[in-house]
Amino acid sequence: MVAQTNPRRSWMIAPAHNPAAVMGYKVIKPDVVVLDLEYTVPPKSKDEARSGLAPLIKDIGDSQSDVFVRVDRETRWADVRASIHRGINGIIFPGPDNPEEVSDLGDCITTMEHERGVEAGTTELVLMLESAKGFWSAATIAKASPRVTALGVGRIDLTMMLGPVPQDEFRLYRFLMTRALVAARMLGKQPLGAFWRPGSRGGVATKKETERAAREAQLLGFTGCLCVAPEQVDSANKGFAAA
Amino acid sequence: MNKQSIQPEARNHSNADGKVVPKFIRRSIFALSIDDPQLEQKAYASWADAIILDFTKALGRDWQADLKNRMPAAICAAATGGAEIFIRINQDFSLAELDATVFTGISGVVLKSVKEPEDIVTVSQCLDALEVSRGIETGFLEIDVEVDKAGAVWHSLEIARASQRFGIFLINEHALSSDLGMQSEPELDFDPLEYIKSQLITVATSVGGQALGMSYPLSLTQENVSGDALETAVRRARDTGFKGAVCPHASWIKFCNEGFRPSTDEADYYVKVIEVFAEGLSRGMASVPLEGKMIDVPVDVRAKVYLNWADRAQARDQAKAQAHEKESS
Repeated sequence: MVAQTNPRRSWMIAPAHNPAAVMGYKVIKPDVVVLDLEYTVPPKSKDEARSGLAPLIKDIGDSQSDVFVRVDRETRWADVRASIHRGINGIIFPGPDNPEEVSDLGDCITTMEHERGVEAGTTELVLMLESAKGFWSAATIAKASPRVTALGVGRIDLTMMLGPVPQDEFRLYRFLMTRALVAARMLGKQPLGAFWRPGSRGGVATKKETERAAREAQLLGFTGCLCVAPEQVDSANKGFAAA
Repeated sequence: MNKQSIQPEARNHSNADGKVVPKFIRRSIFALSIDDPQLEQKAYASWADAIILDFTKALGRDWQADLKNRMPAAICAAATGGAEIFIRINQDFSLAELDATVFTGISGVVLKSVKEPEDIVTVSQCLDALEVSRGIETGFLEIDVEVDKAGAVWHSLEIARASQRFGIFLINEHALSSDLGMQSEPELDFDPLEYIKSQLITVATSVGGQALGMSYPLSLTQENVSGDALETAVRRARDTGFKGAVCPHASWIKFCNEGFRPSTDEADYYVKVIEVFAEGLSRGMASVPLEGKMIDVPVDVRAKVYLNWADRAQARDQAKAQAHEKESS
């Protein structure tokens, strides 16, 4: 069983194929650096990103920040095999739909921990809910592996699936956040998410918008969120300050 | 026909598709401790529809024997004003607490800290045995669930279906918010529990039960607010689907009793609806106009259901009044 950690407020996403961008963490000092193998990495740079993970993980692992790798749902097996190195805290799995996907990924991690000399069972799994099926089965999915330490609300995919971006508040978002929160709290997992508004969707939320989104999420019971831009880290830390 | 022309006892709602909503007239629930030396006076003066009895376990003594000695008298004392009596049980210690507190005179138990349906099954089986040993009609005792844990929300449907004894979800907004890691200050401009409340109301109703709760932000602040503010909050809670609330202050009870039922004006309107529609039917009409609105079968059914609710609330008030008269004579 993976040990529970203190709430990680800011999860800064950094494109894994761009070491210079990743190294910005030394100035930004997020609670977590998320080495991304998903959206922020162009398809032609995926191999380069995977092959460069080991030194980045070692570097961040020696710092005050924790380090996770966000895998691509479609290429998650290759991504996980490339990600497990000493120093890694965990894997972010976007869009799980059923418990088998989670338990299978956990098994893959177990194999890689053994191969790479990483202490068995220490690599965490963070699940970002992004589909209607995933939200509805959140508790079952989260119970599929003892590695799961956090449940998050992934916004982009589901909102795109559900229809056009509204002009005002995306009201269904409250329901989705509530469902993820209840599942996470029931199971003792960290709830991840921010109360993003349509104004910041399709672009990057400003510092002010991020702090508000984090503060409102904290009022709702969340304790941290992903930050797609380094500028959001400080705002997320402030918004979740009392968590 | 005016509102006097159909007296509650003479109204026939048999055409309302058998719908009796709400199942229970429990608009106001008030919690009192059996250790309170003024238990009887407070219960009598409260006019609450139901009273939840809380207890503490005596340290250094056989707490079960102690409670068994005291509970029957406490139940009688709490019932002097005509309220239904429930005992609040902690699920974590339910079997021992049930054995010490379940006696004739209670309508059921309120279980707190419920996390999964198995909790209800266990308690229900215990009540089966206690009903036999304590001379209570088989199946009479109800199990109500105080929703204060995330697990009770997530498993609400399974919990509500776990026993025929299930009656009510009582949402303890303060404790539930705490369990969910929500901040207790109502800073948000919307109710953070909105969807949880909607779920619990729907689930409870789906098994023939009901849910009790208050509207935001009063649900979180639990303040002793003014009459107007309380009246508005109760109305909003009723319109959300709640059929009553647990009252943290005795001052809430009057407003809950008046607010968690159709008002006199509403009842008057429903009488008109029923009369106008019946007259239209007799003329071969499927729908008839009334004050600019169309009255058809669903509207007629709703009027009968709501009028039935109003009548039963009135009957409940009369029963409590009789209990007070009996006690004072």
